Amino acid sequence: MKKLTIYSLAFLLVFSFIVSCKKKVEEAPPPPPIEPVEQEEPVVEEQPVVEVVEEEPVVEEPELTEEEIFLQKSIDEMNAEVHMDMIHFDFDKYFIRDDAKPVLEANAEWLNKFGTIKVLIEGHCDERGTEEYNLALGEKRAKSTMDYLVSLGISADRIKILSKGKSEPIDLEHNEDAWQKNRRSQFKIIGK
Amino acid sequence: MKIKRYAICLCLVMFAGIILYSQQEVVISIKDGMPAIPLALPEFITQSPSPEIRAFGKELHQIIAGDLDYSRVFQLLPKSYYSYIRPLNPKNIFFKDWQSIQATLLLVGILSESEQKDFLFEGKIYDVKSGRFIFGKRYQSAKSLLRLVAHKMADEIMKIYGERPIFTSKIVFISDRDGNDELYMMDYDGHNQTRLTFNKIIDYMPAWTTEGEKIAYTSYRGTEAGLYIYNPYEGTRKEVMSTGTNYAPSFSPDGKKLAFCSTIEEGNSEIYVANSDGTDIRRITFNNAIDTSPAWSPNSREIAFTSDRGGTPQIYIMDAEGSNVRRVSFGGSYHDAPAWSPTGDRIIYVSRVDQIFDLYVLNLRTNKIIKLTESTARNESPCWSPDGRHIIFSSNLNGTIQLYTIDYDGRNLKRLTSRGNNKLPDWSR
Repeated sequence: MKKLTIYSLAFLLVFSFIVSCKKKVEEAPPPPPIEPVEQEEPVVEEQPVVEVVEEEPVVEEPELTEEEIFLQKSIDEMNAEVHMDMIHFDFDKYFIRDDAKPVLEANAEWLNKFGTIKVLIEGHCDERGTEEYNLALGEKRAKSTMDYLVSLGISADRIKILSKGKSEPIDLEHNEDAWQKNRRSQFKIIGK
Repeated sequence: MKIKRYAICLCLVMFAGIILYSQQEVVISIKDGMPAIPLALPEFITQSPSPEIRAFGKELHQIIAGDLDYSRVFQLLPKSYYSYIRPLNPKNIFFKDWQSIQATLLLVGILSESEQKDFLFEGKIYDVKSGRFIFGKRYQSAKSLLRLVAHKMADEIMKIYGERPIFTSKIVFISDRDGNDELYMMDYDGHNQTRLTFNKIIDYMPAWTTEGEKIAYTSYRGTEAGLYIYNPYEGTRKEVMSTGTNYAPSFSPDGKKLAFCSTIEEGNSEIYVANSDGTDIRRITFNNAIDTSPAWSPNSREIAFTSDRGGTPQIYIMDAEGSNVRRVSFGGSYHDAPAWSPTGDRIIYVSRVDQIFDLYVLNLRTNKIIKLTESTARNESPCWSPDGRHIIFSSNLNGTIQLYTIDYDGRNLKRLTSRGNNKLPDWSR
């Protein structure tokens, strides 16, 4: 009997040990599973984000055809392909001539299309005026060009003006043809 | 012997007659201003066997002679006259000899070797009639500064006659000789042309400060034409106005104010006045017309300027605060770039007639106008020398635009530049 009780006690001890060991083993695993579950959830959340991102370009692709493609270019590249024609002025004058109005209307239309583009209007003069007066006259030409664009609905915040006087002629000849070319307002993109 | 002496005397009288006659001619031709003072400038004496020192002496003599000849204050005696009298002995000058060839002033120059520097130059000025020593200057210098020594000596001679020194003055201008419009400066005679700015942008319309130490100018940076004050000796730059188109700076002769043009308000060129350091900017013209080219009167109380408020660009004068505006140019339909003479009685400006620009001088006392240049070109941007006897301007007389000087009476047209195009000169005071 004694042997039996010893055996049974020993068995109990062993069993209880095993059970206690098993419990410990069982207790330890639960936290890991919880963590992976938590980790898995964001992964699940991310997946739809990726899907949305995948969806967006699909939506963008048709937009890229016009403005977006143009706006992706650098300002230098934009200026390289001239989108706004220059206008010309009468000798000693700064009013907008009738032949310049359609040009400005086309420029305004283009500016309306690309609503974020900012431009610089440079006023230039021919060599037949003095340096000082020409600088003031060039500014007047740039200003009247700007005013005309504003009257066509372009925001004044998008336009800057600058006078170059007679320091940057485009035609270096000394004849009526060259002078007419040099009396001008020209456009330059400075921001998008 | 007696006959020989009489013959010499007769010869001298005859020469004196010729000289007197020629002098009278000069007096007549200089209608405005005083007759030139006859000055004897014999070859400088070299107290050294060194051929180098001898060469320095020749060069110094040449530069000083050039300066005084240009001055219109002094008239150099022809070299041939010196052969009629005994050679110069600096220790014992025979003033009677110099008087006999009609010299009023005598400049004696002595060159010797110097222990520390390349050479030692001593210049002494004598009044011939009284035989009195007036003043002397001694310069110890390196060869590289030879031109400066010569100009300083010539300036000293100007000063004893109460004249403003001009030979050490500097001219700042714009040149595209290196491919882009940059600031340059040079001596009054076109020597030592030095580039001051090194950039890829346009630099424009420079003006010396009153002391001639700094330069105000327009610089096209990005989308703005800002006005800056630049110190070429220290390389520092101060901003006056950096937005809009700002140009045509002009410092008041008393050194207190800076006038300039700006289009900052309403895109129209108006005249502003600031302190000479660029602070406290105030607008002084208020109208829809163009107001440009401010130029101070010598007493700093008035400003001449260009305005097209009457329909065409004309010259006006206003008080330095902007009040009391009156028109001073009449006739013609295009006047610009006024510059007030340091003597105060004259205003020079550019007038356009049939596409030709010529310089005109308005005498404020008599209200008479003189046409100073007669050309088929564009003469522009006139600026007076510190003493008011010369004018520098730009002209495309020979195709390209170059800088020229001309005297107040239309004589002595002289070209100073040749490389590239050179324009917008300003002469330091």
